[in-house]
Amino acid sequence: MSKIKYFIQQSWLLIVASFCFGLLIAVTNAALSPRIQQNEKDKLNNLMRSLISDANDFQIAIEQVEIPAEKGRVQTTDVYKALGDDGRCAGFAFIAVGSGFADKIKLVIAVDGKCEKFFGFKVLSSNETPGFGSKIADDDPESDEDFADQFKAAPAQALELIKTSKIEIIKKIDSQIVAISGATVSSDAVVKIFNTYTDKIREQLRQKGLIGSGKQQ
Amino acid sequence: MANSSESRTELYGQTFIAGLWRENPVFRLLLGMCPTLAVTAAVKPALTMGCCVIFVLLCSNIIVSLMRNLLKPHLRILMFALTISTFVTIADLFLKAFQPRMSEVLGPYVPLIIVNCIIICRAEACASKNTLFVSIIDAIGMGLGFTLTLCVLAGIRELLSTGKIFELQIMPDAFVPWAAMSMPVGAFITLGLLLALVNALTKRQKT
Amino acid sequence: MDTLNILLLGFISIVIINNLVFTKFLGICPYLGVSGRIDMAFGMGLAVTFVVTLSGTLTWLIDHLVLMGTAFEVTRYVCFILVIAGAVQLVEMYVRKFFPTLYESFGIFLPLITTNCAILGLCLFINLWGIDNLLEAVVLSFGAGIGFTMAICIMAGIRENLNLADVPQCLKGAPITLITAGILALAFMGFAGMISSS
Repeated sequence: MSKIKYFIQQSWLLIVASFCFGLLIAVTNAALSPRIQQNEKDKLNNLMRSLISDANDFQIAIEQVEIPAEKGRVQTTDVYKALGDDGRCAGFAFIAVGSGFADKIKLVIAVDGKCEKFFGFKVLSSNETPGFGSKIADDDPESDEDFADQFKAAPAQALELIKTSKIEIIKKIDSQIVAISGATVSSDAVVKIFNTYTDKIREQLRQKGLIGSGKQQ
Repeated sequence: MANSSESRTELYGQTFIAGLWRENPVFRLLLGMCPTLAVTAAVKPALTMGCCVIFVLLCSNIIVSLMRNLLKPHLRILMFALTISTFVTIADLFLKAFQPRMSEVLGPYVPLIIVNCIIICRAEACASKNTLFVSIIDAIGMGLGFTLTLCVLAGIRELLSTGKIFELQIMPDAFVPWAAMSMPVGAFITLGLLLALVNALTKRQKT
Repeated sequence: MDTLNILLLGFISIVIINNLVFTKFLGICPYLGVSGRIDMAFGMGLAVTFVVTLSGTLTWLIDHLVLMGTAFEVTRYVCFILVIAGAVQLVEMYVRKFFPTLYESFGIFLPLITTNCAILGLCLFINLWGIDNLLEAVVLSFGAGIGFTMAICIMAGIRENLNLADVPQCLKGAPITLITAGILALAFMGFAGMISSS
């Protein structure tokens, strides 16, 4: 009995403090967590809205689509449906992840309502070399020569990375993407991400009947 | 009576100034280096981190100072760790709620405030031995010194790596940004050179 | 075979490419303080490797078995630091009693390491990267320790030579160490992109 007494005498402050601090954390968490969750939703929604401009709201269309990634791993992502003014489908968007030069690259990719053309992509997180690979995230509204602009009306099929040293981009096929000079690996990573995800997503959308069967192609 | 209140004000003044220059946590005491290098790529994250550190330092100094007579010697480090981690959790929650973008940029370095040597050292060296008011002043002084240091370092790095400070263009258009400044190289070398500068200045003051 | 591949690449990545000291700025305080002599540096490195492997594993276990998805998730940081502090305390007592020779070589550094940002930092990074199997967490923690040991031993070797060089007065000590660390970071940057990480 005296051992317990000694124990309590030594550590009562610790125990009392743990309770009080635990309470403090719990109260703060309860007060702030709805706001934190709203922030997370808003962040994704804002990015998707900047890609699909006439979208009003987003809802999850398909959850947990499995994408086979490298080395036998499987990644999952959710597909969001963008709803326009009159409730019609303005397009679909999803988060896509792949490995870049330095670290993982996370993108938000948007396709149109029939999954035939891309609306483009935005970078959620990347750690590429500043000045070179970081140019994949450049999105100057005034210039239309950014890397990301090439994806803005690209057809939703297998894209191909090319390198050209000509200053003016020769009239190329829409499904060809010109790499950023000095950042081939990062550019290739983005194209690979597009190619890995698009077919699987289209297949899933077709399976769930969210887009046409595409048989008339 | 007048004498003691005068000397008390002097003590408070001294404690405050010490945190800013003479015992500046980064430049003189060489504490808290990890966040100094990690978050100073731009001024805004540096300022945010500085504010978080001031908040945690203040709260933990207050609590430790209030408890200083009840602490058992061999459990005190555990007590400090508990107090500091609680307030860092609260600061992190506030950051996630009100500044989500900054929370993302700062990432795991906010919880790393828990093991920031500044806070534990001040709790051990100052708050557990002094009255409440002195501890508060010490916390504010140290915190401000830390924030100022971070901002100076961040200002230099951001100016040279992007030509802007706080996203306002300062350098002329002809300036070619030094991308190395935003990478670990730039962090280490800038801090090293700044430390050398402070050493040179303090030496000159002494002689 | 695939698992072994992933583990090996993860190990190499955290030792060389994403070295904790040079790319994530963790563990700078002991890095500056203890890198004066190679034998002390090596002792510190061993101690850090030991503690970080233990803590990485323990915190991963606690995170996945107890905290994730429950209401206690918000107390993650408190739990992590308490686990680390407690584990280090226990390990120190154990080593001092049963392995006195081992205690001679790195035991004195153990109390210093509790507040080393590298330990808590690695536990948080493992959480951030979403590592979801135990073996990978163990390998990454061990690799982080090895990376730290390598970094600190390289620095100790360089500093022992710097002692003989003619360093200006105001640069002596921490400044020249930081500048050297910067050049080392630059050198290690050359490893980026060596393996396309996954």
